Amino acid sequence: MLKLFDHEHLDLDNLSDDLTAIRVEDLSLQFGNKHVLENISMRIPKHRVTALIGQSGCGKSTLISSFNRMNDLNPQCRYQGQIYIGDRDINNKKQNVSELRTQVGMVFQRPNPFPMSIYENVCYGLKLQGIKVRRQLDDAVERALKDAALWKEVKDRLFESASVLSGGQQQRLVIARALALKPDILLLDEPTSALDPLTTLFIEELIAELKHRCTIIIVTHNMQQAARVSDYTAFLHQGRLIEYSDSDTLFTTPEQKQTEDYITGRYG
Amino acid sequence: MNKSRRLFSQGQRQALFIGAGAFFTGLLLLAMISIVLLIAARGGGYFWPQDVHRVSFLSSVDDQPKTVFAQIQSEYMQDGQKMRWLQLSDAQSPYGRQILLESNRTLSLARAPEAARVALKDGRVVLAEPVSVESPESTSIAVARIDAVRENVAQIDARITAIRDDALSQIHLQLTELDQRKVSKNAPARKKLNKAFDRWHSQVLELERQRDSYRLNLQLAQGDDISIPLMDVYSLEHTGQLTAVGKLGVALNRVGRFLTESPKQANTAGGVFPALFGTVLMVFLMTIIVTPFGVLAAVYLNEYAPDNAMTSIIRICVSNMAGVPSIVYGVFGLGFFIYGVGGSLDQLFFEQSLPAPTMGTPGVFWAALTMAILTLPVVIVATEEGLRNVPQGLKAGSYALGATKAETVWHTILPMASPGIMTGVILAIARAAGEVAPLMLVGAVKFAPNLPVDAEFPYLHLERQFMHLGVLIYDGAFHSQTDAKSASMMFAACLLLLVVVFILNILAILLRARLRRRYERR
Repeated sequence: MLKLFDHEHLDLDNLSDDLTAIRVEDLSLQFGNKHVLENISMRIPKHRVTALIGQSGCGKSTLISSFNRMNDLNPQCRYQGQIYIGDRDINNKKQNVSELRTQVGMVFQRPNPFPMSIYENVCYGLKLQGIKVRRQLDDAVERALKDAALWKEVKDRLFESASVLSGGQQQRLVIARALALKPDILLLDEPTSALDPLTTLFIEELIAELKHRCTIIIVTHNMQQAARVSDYTAFLHQGRLIEYSDSDTLFTTPEQKQTEDYITGRYG
Repeated sequence: MNKSRRLFSQGQRQALFIGAGAFFTGLLLLAMISIVLLIAARGGGYFWPQDVHRVSFLSSVDDQPKTVFAQIQSEYMQDGQKMRWLQLSDAQSPYGRQILLESNRTLSLARAPEAARVALKDGRVVLAEPVSVESPESTSIAVARIDAVRENVAQIDARITAIRDDALSQIHLQLTELDQRKVSKNAPARKKLNKAFDRWHSQVLELERQRDSYRLNLQLAQGDDISIPLMDVYSLEHTGQLTAVGKLGVALNRVGRFLTESPKQANTAGGVFPALFGTVLMVFLMTIIVTPFGVLAAVYLNEYAPDNAMTSIIRICVSNMAGVPSIVYGVFGLGFFIYGVGGSLDQLFFEQSLPAPTMGTPGVFWAALTMAILTLPVVIVATEEGLRNVPQGLKAGSYALGATKAETVWHTILPMASPGIMTGVILAIARAAGEVAPLMLVGAVKFAPNLPVDAEFPYLHLERQFMHLGVLIYDGAFHSQTDAKSASMMFAACLLLLVVVFILNILAILLRARLRRRYERR
């Protein structure tokens, strides 16, 4: 039985396997000779929003990209350690990366809709999976756009180019595109840093809604945002996991000096 | 050194640079405009009907005065004298010859509205005054009724053709069959057929005699009469009597014929349709071949090839290939495609017809293939440029939705790069349409009896030789050293080649604009 109450804090160190979405075991990662992540171990709880914070270059984006192996696109990338999703180690060479990425969706900093119609954007992943039945696609598009709170705004112009949408709408479209594949985990890499404050609030509300559907991991530079939307927060510094606890604790009474320095704005 | 001691002040230097820039840009524009104007004027002049003049001059042969009907092909000044190239008809050569006439031998030169330009079907031209039209019934029908009379001639000709195609060829087939069955010479069936053949044949001869008795009577400038079968007359233009609008009509009619008819008189008269068709077909085939090859190569270099020295060397080689002289590609096409590949195909599949080559001979396919190799670097470089401009975020977005590399290339990268690909194709088309030297080695000829496309299976004959506008111009340039008329035909062909390249480019640019609107964000 999953615990879905927001305010009940889980014990992250001793999280049971059925409550764990991602288990990171001793993950280290290098780009060429540069060590980006060092010995990261953490358990990310299911159906919660987990924020990764830290100053630029601390490795938080690299860490989130490890969860769907997007780092593989950089030919210089090497990594050790295991990342378990369910009981599979996704760092295993035999892991089918395409399949993994359909289960672990990702949204990037800049909205990147494809230069196609809104409908085709949402269908992109489904069509790659070989779904061609029009009814099925129609239903999936409608559901995904509703989940991303975009349906009302675009239902009359599904076949117009996605580039006519505003930045916030584009970002929700990209979220809908990921949701159409019904992922277990959704990775958001600074999803609001290119958006205005009002649109940001809208996306944050959406995140709060979405955690009932999937586990959400968000990278953010914005401390208030992390405090607002996340249930748990991990602070990274120079490739190491410094502190990881529920957000209330981390932002009010951090245990580590470095965490306190960062959240009070002494650096970063 | 003190600043003020410099030759020019800051402002002066700036003005100098701007002035120099403007000067050279102006020079460039001037050169471009004068090329286009020259080609357009000389090429367009080929179509404009010229007046017929009555010219009297002292013959250079016997110093006797002569009077001829003539058209002035071109005129220029030399040693204080006006030199005129004349196309004339006289008693010795009613079907026209050219002379160069100095102004001091010219006695008189005046427009002759009574004279007409009579073009024959084989391309020859007679300049003379039409007197009457002759038919089997009447010897003096007014020239104004020539169209009605020609109608009769056309009907008779149609009947002759019908008899030839239906009756005579049937009998021919049956006779051949009898021959094959070794039926004796005196068999009744054969006799019967021979009789029928003779009957039809005499009917044809009678009709031909009838047809040829329709004649057009003309009078030359000195009063000599000549008579031409009406069957041979292609057109009769009374250019001297035409208004400007009428002349425009004649000119447009000539443009139409130029575009739709075959060359006559060794490419100095008639139309250029086979060359136009050959040029467009070759460019079209080349585009079909070069685009997939170039795009695949660029995708490999940009997306798949490891970032190492080998890839850099390949890139440099590709760029250098664009600078190789085109005749080298022609020799390569001849040696590799025609003798190598074509020769091997002959030995494998067409051994029964050796030593006569089937594939191992210049043809439109080998020409298109050679031009594809020649334009490949252009397409590769432009496509790579397009591929590099695809935003990294879009690729990442595609991968993040579970797309493999191939799927990302196919669904996201290639559509986004398509304007870049089109740029390459435009450059390739412009280059291929203008090349002449390599084509002459691999399939383009001065005269090809058949088009590469016809109604005969398999409709598209890729092994056939073809005509090409560039080759036609090249050929015309050699004629033009002695022949002012074919010079203007050459200019007309030049104008057409410019127009063709222009149209092909416009099409490709429109397509690219469409793709840009679709795939370029904001």
